Amino acid sequence: MENFFNIFIKSIFIDNMVFAYFLGMCSYLAVSKTVKTSAGLGIAVVFVMIITVPVDYLINEYLLSPGALSWINPEWAGIDLSFLSFIMFIAVIASMVQLVEMIVEKFSPALYSSLGIFLPLIAVNCAILGGSLFMQEREYQNIGEATAFGLGSGIGWLIAIVAIAAIREKITYSNIPAPLRGLGITFIITGLMGIAFMSFLGITL
Amino acid sequence: MTTESKKKEPLFSAKNKKLFSLPLFGNNPITVQVLGICSALAITVKLENAVVMAISVTAVIAVGNLIISLLRNTIPSRIRIIVQLVVIAALVIMVDQVLKAFVYDVSKQLSVFVGLIITNCIIMGRFEAFAMANKPWPSLLDGIGNGLGYGIILVIIAFFRELLGFGTIWGYKIIPESFYDFGYKDNGFMILPPMALITVGVIIWIQRSKNKDLIEKN
Amino acid sequence: MQHSNSYIFRYSAIMVIIVAAMLAATAELLKPKQLDNIRIEKMQFILSSAGIRVEKKDVIPTYNKFITKELGVDLSGNIVSIFQNGKQEQGTIRPFEISLKEELDKISKGAGDVVLPLYICNNDGKTIFIVPVYGKGLWGPLWGNMAFADDMNTVVGATFDHKAETPGLGSEIATTVFQAQFANKQIFDPSGEFVSVSVVKGGVKNSSTPEAHGVDAISGGTITSNAVSKMLHDCLINYVPYFKKDQ
Repeated sequence: MENFFNIFIKSIFIDNMVFAYFLGMCSYLAVSKTVKTSAGLGIAVVFVMIITVPVDYLINEYLLSPGALSWINPEWAGIDLSFLSFIMFIAVIASMVQLVEMIVEKFSPALYSSLGIFLPLIAVNCAILGGSLFMQEREYQNIGEATAFGLGSGIGWLIAIVAIAAIREKITYSNIPAPLRGLGITFIITGLMGIAFMSFLGITL
Repeated sequence: MTTESKKKEPLFSAKNKKLFSLPLFGNNPITVQVLGICSALAITVKLENAVVMAISVTAVIAVGNLIISLLRNTIPSRIRIIVQLVVIAALVIMVDQVLKAFVYDVSKQLSVFVGLIITNCIIMGRFEAFAMANKPWPSLLDGIGNGLGYGIILVIIAFFRELLGFGTIWGYKIIPESFYDFGYKDNGFMILPPMALITVGVIIWIQRSKNKDLIEKN
Repeated sequence: MQHSNSYIFRYSAIMVIIVAAMLAATAELLKPKQLDNIRIEKMQFILSSAGIRVEKKDVIPTYNKFITKELGVDLSGNIVSIFQNGKQEQGTIRPFEISLKEELDKISKGAGDVVLPLYICNNDGKTIFIVPVYGKGLWGPLWGNMAFADDMNTVVGATFDHKAETPGLGSEIATTVFQAQFANKQIFDPSGEFVSVSVVKGGVKNSSTPEAHGVDAISGGTITSNAVSKMLHDCLINYVPYFKKDQ
């Protein structure tokens, strides 16, 4: 249990998708003009990540990694399909996004109307694929850890985009040098936020 | 050159040249179109990594553009996105395998970021916006141009980060030892992630103060 | 353009087959080269703990020249596998190919058939025993090699690497400055009791740890430092029966 909590906290604050790995920057920059829309996108990311990371974990564990097929037939223990992981992960993500979109549309039209436009964007959000790839790279021990990591990374991304959106709403009223307006200042602010987040490095887990 | 190209426009017509050179400076994918930053910044700590990454992305985008352009009339529009994703993913897997086999050290440092080329929005963006509607040759040029435009920013960022962070360029010591004797120190801060963002911010600032058209109004 | 459903199906089926065939071919074609890279890196890492630093391209001949013997030892200190002069002389698995991680997993599960790798290096007539170590750091795995002189007590050299320790803090364990501290440390106390080498926070001089069994920790990298201590203790203790037998 303690371990799950550690992974969860770490993936929110220390290994923050945006500040430590720059993942999901495209939508982070494009959609962070107002708090409302960015919160919508952020929630959609959390939603998709908590599904895709565990699913990709199972796929990696029982289909792709070296010797993973031995549960079907012990003779297949030598098969290593890990070279297929990118294509499998992206396929899972794309189909999960589609599935989530259909489910949300069916059962909660209100949620769909606020999240709907973001869902297709998410399939190519690097934070989602990054989550699965990091999960594979870091060799999490069980599905619980993978889920904790997926949830934490999603929430970390949500915090980042809501925070930058709030700042951007405020700085519209500031007198920024013209060439720096918009994109430039957003980058620099994100950098400064990243520095602030680095102070979490010292916490003992 | 060939009879074929005589009949049509020449291979390096002004229009084609523009396809190639525009993304490099004028319409740069990173600083102007704001695409593909996701995987760009984390690997710019060292110049070598940035160059390998730039070459990989250029290869994927150029070959991908070519393939999509060749197939553009056969791709069913309903599964268009999936076909594009499969092409990208397949190319990226090949790049990853090649890197692992020939530049193992670099591929270890790039780790997951090679895989993240798949979600690099530049590539999907170029497939949708250009390759689906254009002939193979311009698509190839457009792909190379965008790949290099992306690469050049990576290289610029990596140049400064490596120089100031480690005092080296491409692993060779550039800052003379005598500087260190006078109390100069490598700035470890440059190696940390936030400085990549700030460096990009500064590059955008410089580019926009030279090119006033790009300034955002708000 | 509108296409019929059957066209879409045929299209995707053909696409999947072509892509799968191409990827499988690339993977198969490049696999030997990739495995070589991993082996070369492992060899280079083993050599560097014994103080032999070589370029990537010279690793294999150097390894074959210096590492005269690879042993597999079990938990009671018996030799169960020998690989020498390019051939397997005893046992079935080449010690170099043993995954230390899997063997350590077996130990923690209490399984019996554990075989631990150990490399014997002959450098200018001096025999050096190299023991791989593997453990868990703050954020991911740590691994390394410890080289011992022929008294199987005094450390000659050490190398460590890590997957994801904090840059600038925990990751300093991969630097030569940190690793050089290990030279001439001892893992047994004068009475022959196993004590390992610990990484001591705040410096060995200010602590109760005897100088011979401690190195200075990295400031700010406490958890990684403790992880290194634990890794060394937990891995080396498995070799104690062998060391005792052969000392």
